[in-house]
Amino acid sequence: MGNLKLTSVTKSFGALTVLHDIDLTIDNGKFVVFVGPSGCGKSTLLRIIAGLEDISGGGIEIGGRDVVHLSPAERKIAMVFQSYALYPHMSVRKNLAFGLENLKFKRSEIDARIAEAARMLALEPYLDRKPRQLSGGQRQRVAIGRSIVRNPDIFLFDEPLSNLDAALRVQTRAEITRLHRQLKTTMIYVTHDQVEAMTMADEIVVLNGGRIEQVGTPLELFDKPRNLFVAGFLGSPRMNILKGKVVAVGETGVTVDVGYGVPLQARIDPAAVAAGQAVLLGIRPAHFAVGGEGLPFVVQYHESLGTETYVYGTFEGSEEQVIVHQAGHFAPERGALLRIMPQPGRMHVFDPDSGLALPRAIEERSAAHEHA
Amino acid sequence: MSTPKSTDLGGRALDFVMGIVEAPINGFERLMGRKRMPYLFLAPNLVLFGIFTFLPIAIAVGYAFTGGTGLFVSDRPFVGFDNFRQLLQCEDYLRPGSCRESLFWTAIWNTLWFVGFNVVATLLVALVTALILNRAIAARGFFRAMFFYPVLLSPVVIGLIWKWFLDRNGLLNAFLQMLGVPPEIFLLDVGWSRFFVVVVSVWFHMGFYTLILLAGLQAIPKDLYEAAAIDAASPRRTLFRITLPLLGPNLLVVLILLMIRSVQIFDEAWVLTNGGGPGTANSFIVQYIYQMAFGSDLRLFGLASAASVLMGLVLLALTLIQLRLGRKMES
Ligand SMILES: Nc1ncnc2c1ncn2[C@@H]1O[C@H](COP(=O)(O)OP(=O)(O)O)[C@@H](O)[C@H]1O
Ligand SMILES: [Mg+2]
Repeated sequence: MGNLKLTSVTKSFGALTVLHDIDLTIDNGKFVVFVGPSGCGKSTLLRIIAGLEDISGGGIEIGGRDVVHLSPAERKIAMVFQSYALYPHMSVRKNLAFGLENLKFKRSEIDARIAEAARMLALEPYLDRKPRQLSGGQRQRVAIGRSIVRNPDIFLFDEPLSNLDAALRVQTRAEITRLHRQLKTTMIYVTHDQVEAMTMADEIVVLNGGRIEQVGTPLELFDKPRNLFVAGFLGSPRMNILKGKVVAVGETGVTVDVGYGVPLQARIDPAAVAAGQAVLLGIRPAHFAVGGEGLPFVVQYHESLGTETYVYGTFEGSEEQVIVHQAGHFAPERGALLRIMPQPGRMHVFDPDSGLALPRAIEERSAAHEHA
Repeated sequence: MSTPKSTDLGGRALDFVMGIVEAPINGFERLMGRKRMPYLFLAPNLVLFGIFTFLPIAIAVGYAFTGGTGLFVSDRPFVGFDNFRQLLQCEDYLRPGSCRESLFWTAIWNTLWFVGFNVVATLLVALVTALILNRAIAARGFFRAMFFYPVLLSPVVIGLIWKWFLDRNGLLNAFLQMLGVPPEIFLLDVGWSRFFVVVVSVWFHMGFYTLILLAGLQAIPKDLYEAAAIDAASPRRTLFRITLPLLGPNLLVVLILLMIRSVQIFDEAWVLTNGGGPGTANSFIVQYIYQMAFGSDLRLFGLASAASVLMGLVLLALTLIQLRLGRKMES
């Protein structure tokens, strides 16, 4: 039983409150990623779940059991640290065995579990080496192996890939995902890297300033960010934000003017806005149609990645950078004027004061409901 | 090679000095070649070290093979290994009385016992203190300073303070009397005086070793303890399987220093016990060397030097063995 329930969890270090009223339920077997900028409280939240940090208020249940006063060992969790925290004076085998020995497992059972974990992680050749005789990726696997042998209810990972080089990071990412499919155990994974979050998670928890901004599947968060922060944090390159004003309210959407004499149609709930209201429009780089009618976009430079191209520029007469994505090869001249048009259904509309996304048009909202 | 000019006062002073030394240093560099320059910088220190450390060692070794009571080498006849023979001539090494230099062997046995008790006691006290100070206790800085403070005192002062404390009319007896315990003349009792020589030595030196061990403890990454907590390690197992093994190198340093310095016990014990008393219960090797060379007009420099050389060789052997063990432990 690996489901986890946090209710109104608060954490302060002295006068500094780093987590505010965190409510979160994580279902058994899910791969959940906590993502957010550095210092937002991800590690603290993870350490609270692990029992390495006391809470200042609220409750924690694992598998329906109140664990607030239980030690880390009693919570049946395992953790992979950013630094790996391998015992440097013990061989890989002893690192894996240490926890089981502490729990007074039988020697035969310990050996069987080590053999199983070593096989899963391809660690057999290294069992008698010391951690310092291993590469970064191998140490990482030992750290994971040390959690596996414990057979925990929940795996906790704190930025486990941040010490690996880029290629190894992609490979290990896939390995951890595979491991999750194989073990079907709840995993909670902390990262500041939104690509890791998007590619690995069943469910993403976006944290900012000690608060949960939004919880959902990667695509939910990508397609329907609840606010400007989530919209800006997920997706790479980041979403373009344009200032605009509602000029007309129709049946299924509204017309927004962002200047340049090209009114844009946004599909949001007409009841939620009034004509004349200021809004922010969010458009991802990939959601522009290039050519034909559209906003005047002056090219500054472009990055070609082979199969796709990012064009950086500004709207005519504006300073703010806008990024446009194009599939395939595309090499516009510097200073060229392009006409680009946001795809109507793909525009996000935010209230500039609260930063919250305005409710979408009716049919979209009900579709979103079914999703959840 | 022009360095950017500084504007603050210290910087300008440095520039000034550098300006003066730059030319001669460049000259030396051309003369000796860049590779040999480090030795130039080491030279002043090497000269001092040579005069005050290496030269005396050489002189002592030389004197060990000479006899008589003359101070200068020219007045001293060469006697070969006579001094060593005199020191080592013994019917039964376990009975100092049967040895030609019975005081030497009494001192050796006293020193061995002292070293044994002192090393174990100091190590334990320093380790426990370091472990406690390593926890997030209040006023850690204060306690650290307090335990370190005796290290800064002169051994003679230490000896005197404790003598007053342990005297027939000292503080300890006054306190015991208050409790109704009859007074004891601690420093005239063989057992008590030996016990208190160890106590004083522990009290004197533990702060230094505590500091070394504390530095080692603080260098152990916190997340290892967190990993151990998740791995369900009991406090006991955490201590014996995580903390102590990782403290190994520091423990080895402490053990070596402690051993060497215990063998060298002299000043504070000399003052405390009025010259090694009662009788010869607290006379140690360095005291023997001191007395042979400088005490009561004996002026047996040759014998004293031979004893020094023997002690030096034993210490060297002990240190090498411990280093070898340490290296074996690490691999
Ligand atoms: N032991 C601590 N004492 C004081 N402040 C802490 C402590 N641990 C973390 N913090 C603070 O809590 C905030 C969240 O930290 P952390 O959870 O490590 O962030 P993240 O993992 O998201 O980068 C930061 O502002 C950090 O400075
Ligand atoms: Mg962190």
